[in-house]
Amino acid sequence: MANTVIGSSLIIDGEISGDEDLVIQGTVKGKISLKESLFVESSGVVEADIETQNVEIAGRVTGNIAATDKVELKSDCRVVGDIKAPRILIADGASFKGNVDMDVKG
Amino acid sequence: MASPKELSGPAGNTVIGPSILINGRLTGDEDLTVRGRVEGELALTRTLIVEPSGVVKANVSVKNAVVSGVVVGNIAATESVELTRDGRMVGDIRSPRVIIVDGASFRGRVDMGELAPGRPLPDRPRAQVRPAVRAALPAARPPAVPPRPPARSTLPSFASSRPSEVGKAPPAPPPVPPTVAAGAKKKVVVKKKR
Amino acid sequence: MAQADQVGIIGKGIIIKGSLSGGGNLVIEGRVEGQIALKNHLTIETTGKVEADIRAEELTINGEASGNIDASSRVAINTSAKVAGDIKAPRVVIEDGAVFNGSIEMDVKLPDDI
Repeated sequence: MANTVIGSSLIIDGEISGDEDLVIQGTVKGKISLKESLFVESSGVVEADIETQNVEIAGRVTGNIAATDKVELKSDCRVVGDIKAPRILIADGASFKGNVDMDVKG
Repeated sequence: MASPKELSGPAGNTVIGPSILINGRLTGDEDLTVRGRVEGELALTRTLIVEPSGVVKANVSVKNAVVSGVVVGNIAATESVELTRDGRMVGDIRSPRVIIVDGASFRGRVDMGELAPGRPLPDRPRAQVRPAVRAALPAARPPAVPPRPPARSTLPSFASSRPSEVGKAPPAPPPVPPTVAAGAKKKVVVKKKR
Repeated sequence: MAQADQVGIIGKGIIIKGSLSGGGNLVIEGRVEGQIALKNHLTIETTGKVEADIRAEELTINGEASGNIDASSRVAINTSAKVAGDIKAPRVVIEDGAVFNGSIEMDVKLPDDI
């Protein structure tokens, strides 16, 4: 799994960037830019624009999400913001408000 | 007055006994062990050892310093400065190698210059606990202070493996005739503490 | 899920610019620039590079740190560490081989006749 874990009692206010997976169990405000996968676990709270390859959300995210591969909203998550990705999965029970752009051509 | 033999210890260095107070400028080309009190200025080309009962209130310029007592003043060392567990110091340290052991207390600046960490380190002098009795001269001297306890906290094991302790306790240096060595230049005002 | 004693890890390939605060223990293997305020133990590993003012309960530094450090218990600067800044803590340990430039403020009890 991921090497970087932002623990549940950690609060980060700023920009996170990197080329490895990131697991968020705590709070991140600002901006996230990763070349790999982002996992927002159920205790995670993210108020940030996200740019990544994949993202899997089980917690709360407020912000725009742009993924080059896939965005998955799991059950019990709460997401407010626009999602732009070629593949999107929204599970039953997920709560989402925003625009979805799968960059469909034609 | 203190005879030369009383002033020097088994290793051929000079020992300032616990009831001696020296006030002035002290320079020398040999090791100096302070168990009493030195005030003023100290310039040695070798090692200064301040034992737990020693108090140095001076600016010090040495090759190595091992502080187990009290130093108030700046230390400039060309090789190393170590504050041991009983060491207490207020002042600035300028030295390429500084060791502060857990338990020491220090207040001041540390200037080691631009160096790469984890570089190879030559042996350095250690604090030696010598018996107070002068009778035990050169031959049978107790070995150097027991190996330093590693200063590592108990962490959840995320600490990456660190290189093992550098510089195990060196073999005891060869005994040197215990007279106040030729080449020692001392300008000293000796006042005996009452 | 365990709360207060959680270990957070900032991996080698992660860069955080901003402020980091919280209650659990934290291990930094990547880069952090800004400010860190932790209620527990912070470890900066050999690959870690921190340019931040740090406040923590206890600090173990094996990598690079520059900034002011304020710890409530102990700061350990280990052999592979390179630290620059002012440290204020009741206990500070510098291992042989470490590189440190800055000031250290511990509580020093001097004899009365100094």
